[in-house]
Amino acid sequence: MARVEVLLPACTGCGVCVETCPTDVLRMRGEGPDAKAIVAYPADCQACFVCQFDCPYEAIRVWARP
Amino acid sequence: MPERTVHTTDVLIIGGGIAAAFAALKARDAGASVLLADKSFFGRSGCSALASGVYPTYMPGDDEQAWLRSFAGPLVNQPLVMKALPIMYEHLMLMDRCGVKWVKEGERIIRLGGPGRNFDSGALMGEGGPQMMMAVRGEVLRRGVQVLSRIMITDLLTSDGCHPTGGRVVGALGFHSRTGALYVIRAKATIMCTGPYKFPYPKPGSLLGYMPIDLSGDGIAMMLRVGAELSRLELGGINIYPDGLLCAPGLESLMPSGARFVDRDGRRFLEAYDPKRLELTSRALLYFAIATEHSQGRRPAIDLTGLPPERAQLLAQVIPIIIQNYRTAGYDVTHDWIPYTYQVAGTSGIFGAGARITEQGETSVPGLYAAGTCSDMAYLPGGHLPFCSVSGHWAGEQAGAEVPGMAEPSVPEAQVEALAAAALAPLGRADGLSFEAVHEALGQILVEEVGLVMSGTRLERAIGRVSGLLAEQVPRLRARDPHELAKVHALVNYTQILEPILRAYLYRTESRVAFMREDFPDIDNEQWLKMVIVQRRDGALRLWDEPIPSSFHLVPPRRTKSRHLAFRSRDGAG
Ligand SMILES: Cc1cc2nc3c(=O)[nH]c(=O)nc-3n(C[C@H](O)[C@H](O)[C@H](O)COP(=O)(O)OP(=O)(O)OC[C@H]3O[C@@H](n4cnc5c(N)ncnc54)[C@H](O)[C@@H]3O)c2cc1C
Ligand code: SF4
Ligand code: SF4
Repeated sequence: MARVEVLLPACTGCGVCVETCPTDVLRMRGEGPDAKAIVAYPADCQACFVCQFDCPYEAIRVWARP
Repeated sequence: MPERTVHTTDVLIIGGGIAAAFAALKARDAGASVLLADKSFFGRSGCSALASGVYPTYMPGDDEQAWLRSFAGPLVNQPLVMKALPIMYEHLMLMDRCGVKWVKEGERIIRLGGPGRNFDSGALMGEGGPQMMMAVRGEVLRRGVQVLSRIMITDLLTSDGCHPTGGRVVGALGFHSRTGALYVIRAKATIMCTGPYKFPYPKPGSLLGYMPIDLSGDGIAMMLRVGAELSRLELGGINIYPDGLLCAPGLESLMPSGARFVDRDGRRFLEAYDPKRLELTSRALLYFAIATEHSQGRRPAIDLTGLPPERAQLLAQVIPIIIQNYRTAGYDVTHDWIPYTYQVAGTSGIFGAGARITEQGETSVPGLYAAGTCSDMAYLPGGHLPFCSVSGHWAGEQAGAEVPGMAEPSVPEAQVEALAAAALAPLGRADGLSFEAVHEALGQILVEEVGLVMSGTRLERAIGRVSGLLAEQVPRLRARDPHELAKVHALVNYTQILEPILRAYLYRTESRVAFMREDFPDIDNEQWLKMVIVQRRDGALRLWDEPIPSSFHLVPPRRTKSRHLAFRSRDGAG
């Protein structure tokens, strides 16, 4: 299994990664300034790194191994 | 029933890879309204967006005969390859204009050779597959295609309300994989572009394949259910990829860059299989060699330590997904070997198998087209990106030409109700079977009974075990939310198409390319220059064969029998 982690202090809740993750691993939690991406379905992460490439704030990191 | 949204369009495109994108663009060129529905996010989905950075394309001035020689097996539609070559170039340039960052020297797009092609052929994506597909997405949106992402299409709708149909396909049904809302899409023409069949959601290290993990052949299952003829199911074969990871092998860019395969003692084991060509041997033999070394515990690995540093730097841009996988798994490519493994049969890999189509993308069911790797690609040689984009181009052009003047399709309400109830049923089975339980059972069948080199007895057993799963476990699957419901559909669809796939494996009594039968080890060009066709009719599967049309052959094949290279080397190695 792969590992994906949102670095909460850096995440602005812009939602880009939630929109584009191919396997729908990520979801938004919270409203307005408190909105953050969360890892809702960790088992479905395929380590494609799309979220890490797309995040404008370097707030999400992926590892190919747990 | 949950909330329902109804859409009406001239042309519905199911899927969001490269075939879908070019089908959409060509149907728009013909003036049709186009709706594209993708179960994932269009631009980030399918094999296309995760591709390993190489678009093997013809350019004007190339030696066409060299292209033909590198692709033209006896089961290939050779004149169609020739017809595809200039269109690949047109697509390359279109993608250049819409922002795909090809690697260039000055203004010139540069290319590398590739496995089986010793001439410059592969254009490189300067920021890999993800950037390529996002740029293509931009163009599709600019051209006024309506795009729906996260819509898991579950079934085709038919004019007579029947599966299989005696009428035409009039659209499709699906649900939103986050909200669970139902989508009914009415269409004059539908183009299926849902990618290859493969075991869904493989676990790393399982011999069951790699990304994209959510693809499993949904479209092929839908087309089987409406009674479309399927072909080439048996020829997809096996694959190789980094052990314990879910990323692609990356052979198209790694092999021409000087990568080598070694075993755990550093021995270049391909010397024993193909001493002349070594790493540039045929893909089938490479797969076979790696699988053999792996199953004998010799830990085959890719050695990138000899790559010139500037090439290694370029590759980090062209195959960012693979390089990040290596890195975060703890490998230092300048120093470590990266172990590789193989994927058992039960996949069409990157090959293209599914709906039998004409050169214009028509399936055997009126109103239904198919393109790219969910089709037999009209016997183009395989599912490389350019063959998929060209196949989408032809299907979009034909569907776009067909729709003007056609009446608005009407969708039978009773069929929508029945299919919707069936599609959502797993959400209501709180104490049903878990996805994980059935997934595990299915994976075991593939590894234990199908494997790499197949045999008739094991295939028969596999068919029996799959039928058991379909009868007893699949109808009891539960889903806790719409996200899991989409996974359940992927699993069910794959299980449903396994029977026709395994029967097609059994039907072809020879070995060829990456399709290997230990009970029939010869490449049999006397008996088997044939296509195997599968269709579901009257509740049963029908299989038959048809000769490869002589019009396929610019170079007449030699109708002889010879031992498959894999068995020759095995016989020799004793
Ligand atoms: C990881 C990887 C790397 C590769 N690298 C290269 C390379 O570098 N060069 C090369 O030439 N070839 C490469 N190949 C092969 C090539 O990328 C594929 O054969 C090609 O992209 C297939 O295109 P496609 O349009 O047929 O399908 P895909 O690109 O797979 O698209 C299928 C689409 O259908 C959608 N879909 C599936 N089911 C449903 C459903 N039920 N409802 C709605 N939508 C659905 C998916 O979300 C996806 O958008 C690679 C393949 C893989 C897997
Ligand atoms: S690595 Fe890929 S699959 Fe995993 S969370 Fe990021 S985008 Fe999704
Ligand atoms: S893209 Fe980055 S900043 Fe935006 S929601 Fe995702 S993790 Fe947070």
